[in-house]
Amino acid sequence: MIALRTLLLTFLVVLVSGSRSFAQATEAPTDDVRSVLTDLITGNGTEEDNLARLSEFGDPVIKDIVEAWRVGKVFVSPGTEPDTQVALLKTDDGFVNIANGQAWQGDPSVASVNRASRGLRKQLSRLVDVLDLASPDLSKRADSAMKLGSGQSPDFLAELQTRLPKQTDRKTRRAFEEAIAISQLANGSTAEKIASLELLGERHLIAARDFIKRMREGYTTDETPDGQLILVKADAALASIASFEKKVEFYGTLFRGLSLGSVLLIVAYGLAITFGLMGVINMAHGEFIAIGAYTVYVVQNFFAAHFGEASSGYESYFLVSLPLAFLVAAFFGAVLERTVIRFLYKRPLESLLATWGISMIIQQALRLKFGAANVSVASPQWLSGSFDANGVTMTYNRIFVIIFALVVVLFTWLLLRRTRIGLHMRATMQNRAMASGLGIPANRINVFTFAFGSGLAGLAGAFLSQIGNVGPSMGQAYIVDSFMVVVIGGVGNLFGAAVSSLGIGMIDQSLQPILGPVMGKITVLIGIILFLQWRPGGLFPSRSRSLDD
Amino acid sequence: MPPRKNLVETILFAIATLVFLVVMPALNLLPEDSTFHLSSFTLGVWGKYLCFAVLAMSLNFLWGYTGLLCLGQNLFFALGGYALGMYLMLMIGPDPVYKSALPDFMDFLGYKELPPHWKPFHSFPFAVAAVMWVPGLLAFIFGILAFRSRIKGVYFSILTQALTYAASLLFFRNDFTFGGNNGFTDFKTILGHDLRDPATLRGIFIASGVLLLLTWMLISWLLSTKFGKVQQAIRDSENRVRFSGYSTTSFKLFVFTLSGVLAGLAGALYVPQAGIINPSEMVAAKGLDVVVWVAVGGRGTKIGPIIGAIVVNLLKSWATREFAESWPLILGGLFVFVVVFMPQGIVGLPAQLRDIKTKLATRKAATTQPA
Repeated sequence: MIALRTLLLTFLVVLVSGSRSFAQATEAPTDDVRSVLTDLITGNGTEEDNLARLSEFGDPVIKDIVEAWRVGKVFVSPGTEPDTQVALLKTDDGFVNIANGQAWQGDPSVASVNRASRGLRKQLSRLVDVLDLASPDLSKRADSAMKLGSGQSPDFLAELQTRLPKQTDRKTRRAFEEAIAISQLANGSTAEKIASLELLGERHLIAARDFIKRMREGYTTDETPDGQLILVKADAALASIASFEKKVEFYGTLFRGLSLGSVLLIVAYGLAITFGLMGVINMAHGEFIAIGAYTVYVVQNFFAAHFGEASSGYESYFLVSLPLAFLVAAFFGAVLERTVIRFLYKRPLESLLATWGISMIIQQALRLKFGAANVSVASPQWLSGSFDANGVTMTYNRIFVIIFALVVVLFTWLLLRRTRIGLHMRATMQNRAMASGLGIPANRINVFTFAFGSGLAGLAGAFLSQIGNVGPSMGQAYIVDSFMVVVIGGVGNLFGAAVSSLGIGMIDQSLQPILGPVMGKITVLIGIILFLQWRPGGLFPSRSRSLDD
Repeated sequence: MPPRKNLVETILFAIATLVFLVVMPALNLLPEDSTFHLSSFTLGVWGKYLCFAVLAMSLNFLWGYTGLLCLGQNLFFALGGYALGMYLMLMIGPDPVYKSALPDFMDFLGYKELPPHWKPFHSFPFAVAAVMWVPGLLAFIFGILAFRSRIKGVYFSILTQALTYAASLLFFRNDFTFGGNNGFTDFKTILGHDLRDPATLRGIFIASGVLLLLTWMLISWLLSTKFGKVQQAIRDSENRVRFSGYSTTSFKLFVFTLSGVLAGLAGALYVPQAGIINPSEMVAAKGLDVVVWVAVGGRGTKIGPIIGAIVVNLLKSWATREFAESWPLILGGLFVFVVVFMPQGIVGLPAQLRDIKTKLATRKAATTQPA
């Protein structure tokens, strides 16, 4: 039915377009948009013909010229060949030949203002409205179709239907069909309405829900059989959309929970090593995160200064800054271990105080160096943006963080379990004196382990610079969460930390829509305290026969 | 030599009594042009230090003598402050702008009448009772949960920090009926006395001094009893105490609750002198500050926390004035130094120096002897 109608309409449009043959009108025109514009302005060929040709282009230049024409900035001048004319655009520095976009060198005195007739102006403004429908950018085309469809104006409905058969791209075609269906809810016949409802229900288009609801309100229960049928169909479509929305919400929460959990995991993994394995209550963990984030900031500025912000070299600054953030934070970690921490291995509670002092110092040093205000770190192009997976919006940086977290976990596991130094690390962390007695260079291992944990914090900071603020006290926001993750996972158990961060992320994200962000967080914290009643050692407690472990 | 130690403590106690209850208020009474005059402002600042000292003593009672490091002592302090603050807010009286007897922030939020839990705070005795039982009850409930499941050491510290963090999130909310971000301020009278009157301020200062001395006496007495011995034994080896048949859980619960009550009292006296109470008193950093005072003064000693609280705060106010930019560097550096090189704090310094001296002497003897 729809197809037949569109075909008919197309045919009509073709008829209107006059002398041009059917084939020429439907084939993608090979001639240049500027020459068509020139033809239209200079009156070369019939107006209808030129308009029809013009409607095949989605070039934004049309909009500019039409606007200029309206305000009297389009001129014509006799051309070099006899009986030809040149269309000109008046700009601040002289005339531009519309046909080629170059500056026009002719005599300005022979140029005269050209104005379009009222009828032509009206048609042109409509043409501009639907300009994006022919845009070469397919997503722009689909967006424009949805916009025009949502306007539910009968004029545009015809336009959409005319253009539907020309859409070869599957996604764009679907967008056109959906736009037409939405428009038909207001403008179509009963049969069309029913067909539209069926289509929208089948496609469970969330954007269409309000339109269906509005249309449904127009019908009362005592309707003709047709009206009854529409009501039934509308309810069915609404139900289908609602169930789809629930599904989208569920997967959306799942995805957000996973990505929040991954952020937590990356943030807490360094602490799982310095606190969980080494027993150092590292209150300066948050500041190592800040060091990593500031490293990214410095690298970004370096790249911007040396390659320029538009270059492709600048785009890769983030990849370069990742290892650097790790190394810089690891270096500071090593320095901290050598100067302070090594005196405190037997006094864990005092390591808390000393690192608290360190955290004050680092925060203030950052403040003095970079200023107290947050600094801005731009996301590279390839990390910004998102794609839509069947209704669930996934931003690239959220996907990146999940992958990144996986890599961190895998890399740490390989290091600890599959290398000699990992073996030494585990031995030293279990019993420093014994490991040292067996010939393991315990001091060097301590430095290495602490530096590795700090480096992971730096990596976390590098990532956080992409999703949050970078400021001197940015680390403070994560310190409580990080400790919670480690305690819940079971101190000393890296796998536990991974599980608990994902779990906390999921629970947080599922509570947030119900309780709001703050109450959700409070509930999670109280939940954690209660959880430890049930399992004081966390999810995966370390097994030991020692009484005080 | 316990008797001598007691003698030293008695002398210090007498000096503190003299200074805080007699000398300083008397100096404040001198005419303003006198060289020895102590301004009401300075007296107010010292009054706050005394409250901090009590807060530090309450933490020391818990950490120094029982081995439980609470990072949320500031929460109990703030709760005590909020309880008295509620009374002070209600004493402000009708507001000239809104023509209502409600606290200003409630007018802002469009409350028509006082929420039920605010009503009893018109009574001063009730407010004072709340200053004690609210922090005490919270400490008791949290203590049951924590100690029953044998959460101790680092885990206890981290959980108390999480509790404080959760509470501060709650108090930052406007709809929690405690003034949200801004908290309580603009107090006018207490028990009918004008809070801007020097005599009132002097009274509150003396009350802070009395609280400090009473807390000192209470802790000193408790530590000398059998209870105190068990308490310190728990710090040194909890398992041995438990195997000897003591319910360490009950002991710890009592100590934790008492220290919460003491912190609450300190907070209550702090609020009229500071003139404001808001959720920033509950942030995690403040809790760590208290720990630092105790550590710098000397934990596990009776006078250490008092010295620590006063010295660190004096240092902080001096450093913020002199080095507006770099004072956190100085304070942070000091903490690191104290923790690494002075584990006994300021109070332990003489003993530490004596140790070093004897060590040097023996080394000298050892190097000269073999010849």
